[in-house]
Amino acid sequence: MTEYAGYMGKLLLIDLDEGSEREYPWTDKDRELYIGGKAMASKIMYDNFTGREEPFSPENMIIIATGPVTGTFAPSSNRFDISSLSPLTGITASSNCGGDFGFYLKKAGLDGLIIRGRSDRPIWIEIQEDKVSYHEAGELWGMRTGETQAALKKKLTELHGPKGRYGMVSIGPAGENLVRYAAVISGERAAGRAGIGAVFGSKNIKAIVASGNREVKIFNKEKAMEHHKKWTAALKAHPITGSQLPRLGTAGLVSTMQMRGQLATRNFSAGRFEDFEKVSGEALAEEENKGNTGCLSCPIRCSRTVEVDGKKVKGPELETLGLFGANLCNDNLNLVCRWNHELDELGLDSISCAGTIAWAMEANERGLWDNGLKFGQVDNISRVMEDIAFRRGIGAELAEGSKRLSEKYGGKDFAIQSKGMELSAYEPRRAVGQGLGYAVSNRGGCHLNGGYLVVLEGLGLSIDQQTPKAKADLCMFMQDFMEAISLCGHCLFTSYAVFPGFLISKPNSPMSRLVNSMIPHCGWAVRMLNKFPAMAFMNLPLIPYTYELKYAVGMKMNIGRFLRIGERSYNVERAVNAKFGVSAENDKLPKRLTKVLQDPKDPKSKVPLDRMKATYYKARGWGENGLPGDRKLKGLGIK
Amino acid sequence: MSVRVRLFGLLRLDTGIRELELEAGSVRELYPKLAEELRRRDENCPLKEKDLRGCVVSVNDRLSKPGTRLKDGDVVCLIPPVAGG
Repeated sequence: MTEYAGYMGKLLLIDLDEGSEREYPWTDKDRELYIGGKAMASKIMYDNFTGREEPFSPENMIIIATGPVTGTFAPSSNRFDISSLSPLTGITASSNCGGDFGFYLKKAGLDGLIIRGRSDRPIWIEIQEDKVSYHEAGELWGMRTGETQAALKKKLTELHGPKGRYGMVSIGPAGENLVRYAAVISGERAAGRAGIGAVFGSKNIKAIVASGNREVKIFNKEKAMEHHKKWTAALKAHPITGSQLPRLGTAGLVSTMQMRGQLATRNFSAGRFEDFEKVSGEALAEEENKGNTGCLSCPIRCSRTVEVDGKKVKGPELETLGLFGANLCNDNLNLVCRWNHELDELGLDSISCAGTIAWAMEANERGLWDNGLKFGQVDNISRVMEDIAFRRGIGAELAEGSKRLSEKYGGKDFAIQSKGMELSAYEPRRAVGQGLGYAVSNRGGCHLNGGYLVVLEGLGLSIDQQTPKAKADLCMFMQDFMEAISLCGHCLFTSYAVFPGFLISKPNSPMSRLVNSMIPHCGWAVRMLNKFPAMAFMNLPLIPYTYELKYAVGMKMNIGRFLRIGERSYNVERAVNAKFGVSAENDKLPKRLTKVLQDPKDPKSKVPLDRMKATYYKARGWGENGLPGDRKLKGLGIK
Repeated sequence: MSVRVRLFGLLRLDTGIRELELEAGSVRELYPKLAEELRRRDENCPLKEKDLRGCVVSVNDRLSKPGTRLKDGDVVCLIPPVAGG
């Protein structure tokens, strides 16, 4: 039960070993401290894990968590989070997903779902309000995700008639075969990173379906609706959320990344790709795009639609375009669109899959592993992806990810991963703050969990890409801010509208130049804000999230509290990792990015990681071991 | 100086132009000439010189500033600022 609106007031724990369900205790105090989403999941892991659990052991948990604004019809507010111990990294992992499953989970009366244990046979789980049913999934096992979801819809129609509306998540063959970077797919959206699809597979769960008619209460409907209206108008008027993302999608970044030397090319050995234009957002818009779509209640509509084999399917995002394009030296856009669809159907994370293939291409080129893969040779990639998903031939090895492969064959210096997770498409030697983020990120080489500093370093604002100045402080600030946004259930893309439009659309104006040149001198201010969040006791129209929590949820909120919640989320996630042996030693990047210059004539064109890392730990109030101490955890109310 | 001007992002989508040739001695000098050329090709073109000044510009694959000098055969790329990935 809860006094707050927005929440359904219930977390359900399913124990597959016992075949039982019960409510997981979660109080309003917990809601105030952790809001929802991954912070809720991290706290549950912190309270339940000892550090001896293995990703594929029955003791591992799958935690699906929503945020309080999901279902309130706030703009871009229907994301949900799946957390678990990652088979790729062995530490905590959370993967955030769009679509409508979070909405339906709340309609079923749940803020979150925790699953532990292991089923002795393949099943799919159905949650209808207070009723949980376990259905045999023998017929579904082996199916691809699209086929699985279609078959489930048919079964649900047989069971409940044609009028039902459902949210579903499912895995494909990759999850069943325990590929370490298997994704969970919901509709056409993916909780892609960290291999949680394989945790589903290890528990013999093929899919989860949620439905119901519970009402998501809104605290002050009139004020909330008025706020939604204003916020939607602001998103539509902003140059990024109202124009670039709807018209070009995330793929629109490719050309700017090329110009700034940030486009990962040939397994991150360069930051520019000669044929980038053929696999750019412009080419996607001109040659392949059939329209754009969006998640439930989202006015941005960033998703592309393309045609594969006469069927309209989701088009590639920037990560897939960059990593299956420039990073494999592939200039065939049509193939990237096809692979993007195949990856979703097989249930594979496109980032880790492409990163592992790129490593294998270079390992082959260097004579470390004779695997037949070559940069620029793309006629065999579809088959390789299928072999990975079914663990056939070299696919069985590629299914392990680049870190494990480099430990077996050599080539650690060019295994482009951090904590075992392959990096996203941004080449950090031309965005050094992003490099720091990749290294310290709790879940490994992730651009978002790393604070996404590249958005300040050329892809949004234009602060100096190479200076380490203030990057540690900014990294911490961005991580905390983005965590807090995500915990509510909002899409991070709404945060681009936090930047005043003129900073984006007029980067060369005197005011923008002044702001961009001042930011690297403002690390102290960020640190002060972090130390004394009560200073930020106000709410500002530019930051709509705090208003949303006030009006839709009825929670007392201001900017300082909001940032503290983000900080708490990052720290509790770190504290879980500490149980599994993570420390400063694990916050690293491959030597290619820290020792080898991207441009031999520019001594700054590498990531000065050690210098930034020390400042980062200090700013966070962590020890030199890169961990929050007891005092910090107690101060945040975690311990 | 005759330079190749390449348009990217929404600039390309809005004008339908990938590439054109212009005479300009510097990036700063290029802005009004490009705006004029776009208007000449399409009188309803919504882009103005101030929009072009907001673009990220590279000359021969290197980021440039308004004062960057141009020489014959240079390739100048313009892209409106973008974010989000």
